[in-house]
Amino acid sequence: MAAKKQKAAAAEAPRARNSADVIVLGGGHNGLVAAAYLARAGIKTILLEARGELGGMALTADIDGVKAPMLAHTVGRFRPRVARDLGLAGSVRLVEPEVRSFAPHPRDGSSITLYRDPKRSAEELEKRPHGKETAAAFLKIDGRLRRIGAYFEQVLDGVPPSLDGGKSVAEMLAGFAFRKPFTDLKEGDGREILRILPMSASDFVGEYIQNDEHLLAMLAWRGAIYNAVGPMSPGTAATMLFDGITGDGADGGAAGQTVVAIGGPGALATALADAARGFGAEIRTGAKAVAITEQDGRVTGVALASGEEIAAPYVLSTLDPKTTLLSLLGVEATGPDLRRRLRATRSTGVTSKLNVLVDKLPTFTAAGKGEAAQEKLRGRIVILESILGIEKAFDASKYGRISERPIIEALIPTLIDPSLAPDGRHIVSCVVQYAPAVLKDGEWDETTRKSFADSVVDQLEHVAPGITNLISARQLITPADLQNDWGATGGHAMHVNEGFDQFAQWRPLYGIGRYETPIEGLFLSGAGTHPGGGVTGAPGANAAEALIRTLRRAAD
Amino acid sequence: AKHGLQMAPSVGTYTAHWDGYLDRRTDHADTIREIRKWSHKDADNYDDFKQTVNDITRFIRPAIDIPAPDPYGDPHEWLDYAGLAKDFGHLPLRTKGALLDLITGSAYDFLSRWFEGEPLVATMSASGIIGTFLGIKSPGTGMVFLHHYFGEIDGSFREWALPQGGTGAVATAIANAARFHGATTRTDAPVKQILLKGDRAIGVVLESGEEIHADTVVSAADARHTFLDMLPAGSLPNDFERAIRNFKFRGSSAKVNFALDGLPTFTAAPPGNGHLMGTVSISPSPDYMEKAYDDAKHGHPSHRPFLDMLIPTLVDPSMAPPGKHVATAFVQYAPHKLAPEHGTWDDIKESFGDLVVDTISEFAPDFRNKIVGRQIMTPLDLERTIGLTEGNIFQGEILVQQMAFNRPVSGWARYKTPIKDYWLASSSAHPGGGIMAAPGRLAALEILKSKAGDD
Repeated sequence: MAAKKQKAAAAEAPRARNSADVIVLGGGHNGLVAAAYLARAGIKTILLEARGELGGMALTADIDGVKAPMLAHTVGRFRPRVARDLGLAGSVRLVEPEVRSFAPHPRDGSSITLYRDPKRSAEELEKRPHGKETAAAFLKIDGRLRRIGAYFEQVLDGVPPSLDGGKSVAEMLAGFAFRKPFTDLKEGDGREILRILPMSASDFVGEYIQNDEHLLAMLAWRGAIYNAVGPMSPGTAATMLFDGITGDGADGGAAGQTVVAIGGPGALATALADAARGFGAEIRTGAKAVAITEQDGRVTGVALASGEEIAAPYVLSTLDPKTTLLSLLGVEATGPDLRRRLRATRSTGVTSKLNVLVDKLPTFTAAGKGEAAQEKLRGRIVILESILGIEKAFDASKYGRISERPIIEALIPTLIDPSLAPDGRHIVSCVVQYAPAVLKDGEWDETTRKSFADSVVDQLEHVAPGITNLISARQLITPADLQNDWGATGGHAMHVNEGFDQFAQWRPLYGIGRYETPIEGLFLSGAGTHPGGGVTGAPGANAAEALIRTLRRAAD
Repeated sequence: AKHGLQMAPSVGTYTAHWDGYLDRRTDHADTIREIRKWSHKDADNYDDFKQTVNDITRFIRPAIDIPAPDPYGDPHEWLDYAGLAKDFGHLPLRTKGALLDLITGSAYDFLSRWFEGEPLVATMSASGIIGTFLGIKSPGTGMVFLHHYFGEIDGSFREWALPQGGTGAVATAIANAARFHGATTRTDAPVKQILLKGDRAIGVVLESGEEIHADTVVSAADARHTFLDMLPAGSLPNDFERAIRNFKFRGSSAKVNFALDGLPTFTAAPPGNGHLMGTVSISPSPDYMEKAYDDAKHGHPSHRPFLDMLIPTLVDPSMAPPGKHVATAFVQYAPHKLAPEHGTWDDIKESFGDLVVDTISEFAPDFRNKIVGRQIMTPLDLERTIGLTEGNIFQGEILVQQMAFNRPVSGWARYKTPIKDYWLASSSAHPGGGIMAAPGRLAALEILKSKAGDD
């Protein structure tokens, strides 16, 4: 009802073109989701994207005529309810290969394959040394993760509750929304959540997997990927729990999720942009915000690099929290305490993306040949050896150095979606860790970039001999590029580090972790807010809903 | 001082650095001046930092004296905490935020909110790693940092003190108090096993074979000894036993004591010996600290360890002949679990001692020549001689997941155990290690309460 009232009011009042009810900053998946939700509620919304194209970190690149995932290569955790709310069913198609991940050991020629069906994974694990124990342990941790995941599934969609016990009915309801599914859990699982959240992924997985170093590393890696942490860093188990989420359409467990959008990740962004426009949102690209204007602690609009100003009483920013609160606003608005705390928020990016175009499908020795091999290569291909091997790669990045033996998660999207490369060529899309945005010695110049890409290809060559000679093009995006070209402060793909220390209502910080900020009318969204990065759309939807509730309260 | 305990407040901390030093004493203005040498910003922020930490400590401190409420426990367990929860709501946002930052984050990140000077950040962040198998930049070390700020002497927070006559004097004074009230204490009486009758503890058997029967048995040994070593196999429920096996002990520190025939001369130091009266810290920079952890993570003793050294003979000259001194160094990291190439701690004990000497001599070149004797306590020695599992000085790591209602096992954090009349009163229980004696007190109160209920 209120939405209709709002809509009617918006239609009646004559408005300058350069004003809106809400300005959404950032045209990535979260910005687009937020704009669509706002417009759907009848709110006049303008979305501003600095880059020439929409999609943010969910883009499809064209490499010599082949479509490649520019950054994110899977969209496994996109919230089903967002897809439903925005009516995306007809416009984007998601595919989940049966194989979730395949880990060829870089030295001994063995491999592990994990499937969507945990029983099938367990059957394969049984063939390994200590296999009986390991398979049983895998089923146990998988079951645990699925049950806990079912809880987290329910708390991703909503504003995390206040820790003050709630000052309003809405806050108490939010608290209830978090508590109710918790009290529904079996006591054993409830106790485990409260114990596991602050743990390191390697301690958590290590309680189950005790005699298989490679599997232990493969599972615990899910807690460290994309972040400046190692699997031994406390708080990484929390990241794993989110990754293991189970729900309708998405299904994680210990193996994690592998879901791709047909047509590339950009197809999802296009569908979202169409939905937003369909609901009436205005979307502008090449529109870089340089300031959020405010008066007496109340948002008044946004100033663009072009000199143009757009007036709006509300701004929802999906840019990273440091850009939003430190760069676009001055100290008078944010205050010294918040600035100090936010500056120390961890946002150092260590993850790069290397896309490799190959003339034909490379042979991964451990996968074998033929149909069976092709099936295994449809999942994420994880190249790592042990927990300490990952830690060693991480250690280098702490001192501004590039790992000598980086950890790689590759995906061959062209195998899952042949329409991306009609001529039999393939893209090997590699998420590579660890290389910091700022190097201690030297710069991210052409020489450094080339030697880094070479070292990744060397790693691939260990498990897929001959791949080097198949390569016809390479595309590398480093954390420095993420900072310069995507505007992510620190070059972090998830805006701020994920883990228990920057989690739920304290993501990015306690006090600004519930989408609202101390600046009236400014809402924070994007990967730097609950429930974090990955192509989920949840931060965008949750923040938009929080803003809509505020608007309705103001209208009443 | 009824039972003979005199506490002398710690006089300060001197941090050696390659390009100078940081000498913080008790005098506030002097401390600010010292900090300003390294960073103006740090000096300007110092009072705000102290205020924030004091506010947090004042808020959280009562929790140490209350048993941890269980999330699935009787609601009355939470009554004691109701006030605390209400107080939390009333804290200013900056204090709430800082508390959350500490509970979930790293000591380094927390301190970086105020400070940038290398020796200041490094030395202060050391409070986050003491006895812990984590680095200053690992999330979770904020919790250890907070734990250290629980220290309270005569009502003033975060006042670390040195008991006269060494920390052993604390034990002596407590023993005197116990005997005064009628307790019998017996030394050289190692317990072999707890005597059970059905699911109930009825006494203990000593190594000597002697049996002592009792209504109640209270163990102040760590959780692994208490449950896995001293109970007959199969006496515990499976889930509980598995949880105890998962309780982490990873000891990470060693102790090295030196007999010296004179005081060492630090290359960069103020005139006089005042800087040697308190803690002498080798923690020159955050990277130095983090690299020390990297080594340990991979199973090596730190090639350049962090160390805190005290020279107690400067405070209490009666401890050594005139002109002679004793220096006692807490050294980290000395990981209990070594990489295979090192063999055992017995194999590398002396080379580790040399490494400690090299580390101190880097900042005080004549230290090496003043040594007339040394004694090394490796994590293995701590385990064998004091009975600390894996040499962990807190009887279980101070990790967020091993605190409060999870210490040592979720559902069993209130000193009771699955064995009737068998209680846990060690630092493996809430609120954990450090010479606070809180677990012992809280356990005793719970036992008394339970006895009163029986009548």
